Amino acid sequence: MSAARQTAAAAPVFLAEGELEALVAELAAAGAEVIGATGAAPASPAAAAAGNERGGPSLDYRVLPPGVAPRLLAGMPRLSLKGFFLPQAEALFGWRQHGADVEIERGAAATRPRVALGVKPCDAAALEIVDQVMNWDYADEPWNERRAATTVFTLACAVEDSSCFCAAVGLAPDATRGADGLLTRVTGGWLVETTTEKGAAVVAAHAERFAAAPPALVDEGAESRRAARERVAANLEIDAGSVRDWIAAHFDDPLLAALGVRCHGCGACASVCPTCHCFDIVDETEGVGRGTRRRQWDTCQTGKFTLHASGHNPRDDQHARFRQRVNHKFSIYPLRFGEVLCTGCGRCSRECHAGQDLVEILAAIDVAARRPETAAVGAADGGEA
Amino acid sequence: MTEPHDAAVDAPEVATGAPGTARPAAPDRYPETGARDETGDLHGVAREVLTKGDVGVVIGWEEGRRGVRPAFVTAADDVERLVFDTRCVHNLVTYLNPRRAQIAALGRAAVVVKGCDAKAAAGLLREAQLRRDQVVLIGVRCGGVLEVADLDEPAALTPETVSPRCFRCDNREPHLVDYLVGEPQEEPPRPPQTVDERVAALDELPAAERWEFWTEQFSRCVRCYACRQVCPLCVCERCVADKSVPQWIDSASHPRGNLSWNLTRALHLAGRCVECGECERACPSGLPLTLLNRKLAQTVRHRFGYVAGDDPEVPAPVGDYRLDDTEEFIR
Repeated sequence: MSAARQTAAAAPVFLAEGELEALVAELAAAGAEVIGATGAAPASPAAAAAGNERGGPSLDYRVLPPGVAPRLLAGMPRLSLKGFFLPQAEALFGWRQHGADVEIERGAAATRPRVALGVKPCDAAALEIVDQVMNWDYADEPWNERRAATTVFTLACAVEDSSCFCAAVGLAPDATRGADGLLTRVTGGWLVETTTEKGAAVVAAHAERFAAAPPALVDEGAESRRAARERVAANLEIDAGSVRDWIAAHFDDPLLAALGVRCHGCGACASVCPTCHCFDIVDETEGVGRGTRRRQWDTCQTGKFTLHASGHNPRDDQHARFRQRVNHKFSIYPLRFGEVLCTGCGRCSRECHAGQDLVEILAAIDVAARRPETAAVGAADGGEA
Repeated sequence: MTEPHDAAVDAPEVATGAPGTARPAAPDRYPETGARDETGDLHGVAREVLTKGDVGVVIGWEEGRRGVRPAFVTAADDVERLVFDTRCVHNLVTYLNPRRAQIAALGRAAVVVKGCDAKAAAGLLREAQLRRDQVVLIGVRCGGVLEVADLDEPAALTPETVSPRCFRCDNREPHLVDYLVGEPQEEPPRPPQTVDERVAALDELPAAERWEFWTEQFSRCVRCYACRQVCPLCVCERCVADKSVPQWIDSASHPRGNLSWNLTRALHLAGRCVECGECERACPSGLPLTLLNRKLAQTVRHRFGYVAGDDPEVPAPVGDYRLDDTEEFIR
């Protein structure tokens, strides 16, 4: 994992605005897929005729076609970066039956080297957090291969809106977790600091695109990053340890039921979440004696997720499913891996059709966790045991 | 392709219930739920039903941290939270799905409904998913809503911001209600391109281009089923998409699976969909599901002379059986 080869942040270099396109072209020419946030592909004539110009995410991480530079100033991409490591749906292998023998056809060859430019720090940090479960009881080869093949440069974030809360979960708008380098927007271009050997290697290989960073710009970058940290810290402040322990001790607390009441169980939060990583594995048959084993995103927000073959469902209403999502992210994962399964990107709050809001939910749990009488009630329930 | 799917675009968007020809209210149809209260305001009605103990919860809208969202008011002291304005896009009838155990636990519900939402309630009644005495419906006079709920302030409707489905709505004052509140509303502005015009533009394309259009749209589907979950009429005990023995619909988000899912969803709603637009708004990928829904509504109107309304006594093509059916196989 990239963390193992983490180096001290190198002194920043400067990438002038005019050099970005050339850098992307060089990276591509050297055989890398370049990933960046771009607007939606131009609407087809049919889409334009149907007035569907708004149909489609305006900004998403995409493999950049030749000649397209990422929009390094743009806002929050609709989906996180996770799909480049855990695709929505992928074929693991195909099979063919020949009488009693089964022939296995492996999936595609190893991933090409990839460089992601301008990734949100909350999306990069998620990769390292999810690395833990992907290498816990079983090393997930496709995930690890894609992680190894990808160099991630984040872009220090200016903070999107009041739903950003990375500071409350131990990160920052200029965090470098999960990243190999960090870009900071300054007048006329970007400061570039590398934090791993992998990141440094990319800069070294394209050294002509970078210049020494003028001290005035270094100061400008530091100031804008400080201001962003301050802005996001004001959005939410929680004691993650108290939240973790309160949830663990209050499984049946009415507060959780009240906080989840409007949830429709649509799972959009999990789809856009950078850290939700659950998947389902299915066999798709193609006629007789052949088929494909696939895995695809799944989410604890659907009833089917826990439906037993008997028909029994241990999470038989949406309250139980909503509670599971909060519990897994802020109690189960921290108890098992020592950190929350959330990077504070705020996508779930922005995307939720019903107005479920993790900022509000965490604040409410934090208040409950700090309230002494709540602990007493929990103890009386036997919940504090 | 040029099948005369429904009168011209300039004709009223739906065949029945044009503005100004509203059916008289039917106050006696469900006497067990009490008389209509034409004079009540939203807070007053909510306070009344909670105080009298008629209901355990009033489901309406409230200010959230990101604009307006569904509200669940269980105490009469709390009714001031309720709001109704152009941001109140959600169809709250979705919460009346009999499978929503966490809502049922709150007790008998009163639900605030716009005209389109009342049609969804009629759908549940028509299909025996709900009994009329299980719910109190508080109708709001509606002059159209926006497409988005997450604004700090209510915004005036403009051609660009009004939800296109609100154009020529035939149910600005819901009939299927126990209370009706609010002032009479103006017609909303005409959107630059109406839903019918968008459907017509697609219909005029050669089949190959239409196919390309939908292939491109469906390719973005992430199979989260948000469209299903927010739909007030997607009430199957077990959705066909969740059935795996056999796997009727491939669950992977590849072209075949996405096509199967999206067409199945649309067809299951044909003649049932009330065009509240929840599916399209909830879609994280922005699929134009309204176009599919409207196309099917046009076909149902053309073939069966039926338009989804808020009178549950009017039978829908799905679920109705006639001895003089024109199709021999069904007689």
